[in-house]
Amino acid sequence: MNAPQSLFDRVWARHVIVANPGGEELLFVDRNLVHEGGTFLAFDQMRIDGHKVRKPKQTLAVTDHYLPSTHRATAPASIANPEIRRVVELLDANAREFGIEHFGVHHPRQGIIHVVGPELGWTQPGLLIACCDSHTATHGALGALPIPIGQSNQLRHVLATQTLWQKKPKTMRIVIDGALPAHVTPKDVILTVISRIGIGGAAGHAVEYAGSTIRAMSVEGRMTICNMSIEAGARIGMIAPDDTTYNYLQGRPLAPQGEDWDRALAYWRTLPSDTDARFDRELALNASELAPMVSWGTSPEDSSPITGSVPDPATIADAEKRGRIRRALEYMKLSPGTALSSIKVDRVFIGSCTNARIEDLRAAARVVKGRTTTIPAMVVPGSTAVKHQAEAEGLDQIFLAAGFEWRDASCSMCGGSNGDLVAAGLRCASTTNRNFEGRQGPGALTHLMSPAMAAAAAVSGRLTDVREL
Amino acid sequence: MQPFTVVTAVAAPLDIAKIDTGMIVPGRFQRLPRRPGHADYARVFLHDLRFDSREQPRLDFVLNHPAYKQAGILVTGPDFGCGSSRESAAYATLDFGVRALIGASFGDVFRSNCMQNGVLTIVLSQSVVSGLLAQLQAAPGAVMTVDLPHQTVTAPDGAAHAFDIDATRKQRLLEGLDDVGVTLQHLAQIEAFEKQYRVDMPWLAHMI
Ligand code: SF4
Repeated sequence: MNAPQSLFDRVWARHVIVANPGGEELLFVDRNLVHEGGTFLAFDQMRIDGHKVRKPKQTLAVTDHYLPSTHRATAPASIANPEIRRVVELLDANAREFGIEHFGVHHPRQGIIHVVGPELGWTQPGLLIACCDSHTATHGALGALPIPIGQSNQLRHVLATQTLWQKKPKTMRIVIDGALPAHVTPKDVILTVISRIGIGGAAGHAVEYAGSTIRAMSVEGRMTICNMSIEAGARIGMIAPDDTTYNYLQGRPLAPQGEDWDRALAYWRTLPSDTDARFDRELALNASELAPMVSWGTSPEDSSPITGSVPDPATIADAEKRGRIRRALEYMKLSPGTALSSIKVDRVFIGSCTNARIEDLRAAARVVKGRTTTIPAMVVPGSTAVKHQAEAEGLDQIFLAAGFEWRDASCSMCGGSNGDLVAAGLRCASTTNRNFEGRQGPGALTHLMSPAMAAAAAVSGRLTDVREL
Repeated sequence: MQPFTVVTAVAAPLDIAKIDTGMIVPGRFQRLPRRPGHADYARVFLHDLRFDSREQPRLDFVLNHPAYKQAGILVTGPDFGCGSSRESAAYATLDFGVRALIGASFGDVFRSNCMQNGVLTIVLSQSVVSGLLAQLQAAPGAVMTVDLPHQTVTAPDGAAHAFDIDATRKQRLLEGLDDVGVTLQHLAQIEAFEKQYRVDMPWLAHMI
């Protein structure tokens, strides 16, 4: 009998070509995703070395980070910042030169890479997916093995060889059981996990999220969970595929069809972890105890239920942590003991690869419907397809009527690479994944939360418990 | 990547501690393309140390001394290349014409990025490094030799100093093999794997 295996072990083993004496294994990369970010350096180096992309069909390029969220029709020519414009144009030129498919500025499939892959059916269970981005774990929500890689050396290696040298990480299972209370979302689940184990809590581990709460979640919700694995320190996050996954994938443009579908499905069904699979670490969470979360500091682990208050560093025993939180509160301009729901915000951003899929926009629209925002707020759909879907459902009209801006798909204010920044000293309720100092712009004060909570903040102008609206 | 065997070149003393990757290539040059010829990256190497805000050379900075126009070796203060992992720092170092760096310590990621690009980083004790710095400062334009096969650095005074290097790294540098080159030595295994994979996963075959 074979030793029991986890989902991760199984998919990893399926991709090992050879091992080296140093303990690294050469892995076959099924699919590779490229965005415009710093990746032009990899292509420059390929050109200098005279390398070709070995398997161009296995790489997909998508423009997202630097693309403006307004005036899309006239981009890239209308991008005012010449450097940003050049980065956008370079990916187009590189993709053409190296024979890679590219969803560029005007492509109907353009969007944030981690939103586009799954919605196309390009992301599938059991595939090893490399992407030069920290939030690659998003693809693990469908049972793929996601591996984030560097934008120059490692990307060049994948392009030139369609393989990747990696040391196998340890494994960790996070089991979440029970029914989520009303208005508690996947974002609240993952913020809770991170607040418990800390920003480095799962470092060196490939995480599998399991349990009845995860099983009951949509694929979109699972993506929100896996997306933030890196904020818990894990580069890899995965969820076993099940009927929810297969129903999600069936009929998507790049999903297998007909006989191929049946064969793929039979294989996918063999992937989930054996019941007696062993993990190096385990963590259990009871969903019924969870509440809507908001972050108050400068790390995603600095998050608490909205019913709580800003912590008092003086009560923290660990000196290093005390110092860090003191600095965080200083940066965030918050005093200890302040009730979280009394904190006024200046603007709201609903978007990013964490929370800009159709389900996220629906959740925010439900809160906003019939109400108006008191502060500047914007919605940036995760992909052009999400945008069209939302418009077909009339969500854009709900947001516009409430005073939101309705923009074009891009990373936008998540990291501000395209110039969508939160001005210094302003406080932003944001559905993104990172609240590090300056993440949304120098001096910007970020509070992470779910789309429904961000919508509630837009309506009341302060951090708000969506259950009380 | 260019193989590294024996390099004899003008050595410049860069006696500053903790030159991080952000000083080697300032953040605002992160979006700079690297074209054959590499003049752009040569220009931004240590940019803000070399040039003032009006883009004029700072005449008091060591690398702007005419004697170091052809410098191919740098003797550095400790922790050269610490800080963020930006690979452009290694590109700029190489494109400026530097093939070898000698110091008491280096940033880890920078070190391996240099390796990937055929730049050798050599760790010697701080007392030896200080001795080298003093000799170079006393005789601007002095020449040193780095001999990788014999793992020695020859100082301007003729003294040879032995250095350590991981055997795999040494072999790769001697052969001019970067990661891609090493992996492509396994090409037959990769192709065999792919062939079998196509058979096992027919629904993916059209993309492989
Ligand atoms: S939305 Fe934000 S986190 Fe996601 S890929 Fe874009 S910049 Fe990165």
